Amino acid sequence: MGFDLSFALSTVPTILGAIGTTLLVALISCLGAAGIGFGFEMLRRSGGLSGYAVRFLIDFIRATPVLAWLYFLYFVLPFYGIRLGALTVGILGLSVYFSGYLAEVFKAGIDAIPKGQSEASRAVGLSRIDTIIFIIAPQMLRNIAAPLGNYFVSILKATPYLAVLAVPEMLGQAFDIASDTYRYAEPLTVAGILFLLLALAISQAVKRVETRLLGSNRR
Amino acid sequence: MREQSPDMATEISGLNKWYGSFHVLKDIDLTVAAGSRIVICGPSGSGKSTLIRCINGLETYQGGSIALGGVKLGDNAKETTLARRDTGMVFQSFNLFPHLTVLSNCTLALRRVLKMSRRQAEDIALHYLEKVRIPEQAKKYPAQLSGGQQQRVAIARALCLSPRLMLFDEPTSALDPEMIKEVLDVMVSLASEGMTMLCVTHEMGFAREVADQVIFMDQGRIVEQARPDIFFGAPSHARAQQFLEKILH
Repeated sequence: MGFDLSFALSTVPTILGAIGTTLLVALISCLGAAGIGFGFEMLRRSGGLSGYAVRFLIDFIRATPVLAWLYFLYFVLPFYGIRLGALTVGILGLSVYFSGYLAEVFKAGIDAIPKGQSEASRAVGLSRIDTIIFIIAPQMLRNIAAPLGNYFVSILKATPYLAVLAVPEMLGQAFDIASDTYRYAEPLTVAGILFLLLALAISQAVKRVETRLLGSNRR
Repeated sequence: MREQSPDMATEISGLNKWYGSFHVLKDIDLTVAAGSRIVICGPSGSGKSTLIRCINGLETYQGGSIALGGVKLGDNAKETTLARRDTGMVFQSFNLFPHLTVLSNCTLALRRVLKMSRRQAEDIALHYLEKVRIPEQAKKYPAQLSGGQQQRVAIARALCLSPRLMLFDEPTSALDPEMIKEVLDVMVSLASEGMTMLCVTHEMGFAREVADQVIFMDQGRIVEQARPDIFFGAPSHARAQQFLEKILH
């Protein structure tokens, strides 16, 4: 039983039909992970008790498997009366899981900004919030564009985990076809190629953003 | 752009600061009258930079008080912020915001702190960029400018907020020799317009020409405070004499 190209092509519409779900999950999870991760990093920098708590939380998140998060949120929370949809759990799980890693990336990006920047910002009277928004965050993003892009690709590549919750994303759809037809090579190859194309597109986009950020205004 | 009140003096009394067990400022008393131009010099580690960083709140201190125009720093957070807004700071390493254009460097605080419109802020910024003789660079980014140009932008950025006291922390120490003059020229013209200035520098030519008081610091103390002609002619302390012999070769 060789590789059947026409069967492979016939699976494309079904698998491609799930690209919307994959992209939606990946996009919201990227934003969620970045938002939570940045919040973590700000709390960690503020020191005090919340700083210690966040430090522990980040280590905890990074030391647990992403599947454990998904199972916990989906199967254990309902036991305590919190019932979330599969898509919500998937997005929440990926956001929390990757926020731990992104917090570290943000830390490196902020550590690389010279201390004189926040001093100059205070000296012209900007508030703490304004300093973060207008001085620290833009320079941080410029420092971490490349690793941040890598994590966005990682988040995209982690979306198939949602298959365990029966969220109809691309790899899950491919696997459903395989289970129905007992032909694995074709649908899984198609899903693999589509993931590859998506990942390449994201890294190209990130590279462009990076060049733009670095090009005009190198320090 | 704001009214200058003639009694805007800075009064420092009994200022003491420690870094851990290191006593970096010892019983500093200093009055900076409005319109006066004071140059602070001294060997490295003598506390000169720390002193002026205390004045606009970049460093905390453990004893004594600093009052700007009668408002004691630290008494009341809101008043402290307002009083600090009256001081402008120029750093040794410029500290321009590298991701913003020269113009945006100058307008950011006007827009965010003083809530001005873009138009209004840009008018003010261009006025001061002209004053430091650099208006044609407004659309460029800091990295596209020479060190001397960057420092002049930093001076313009501070002036935009109409400070009544300008603090300079070794403004020419990070510059190539040929760029020092363009920055000093700007500072001289500021002085001639009556700006109150407190300046840490080793440019003794500038001190002679512009300062009405020279302060010599050593090991966290003000050792000598005198008019420049007296200070340079016959410093009364041995430590100041040694220092001058070394830097005036």
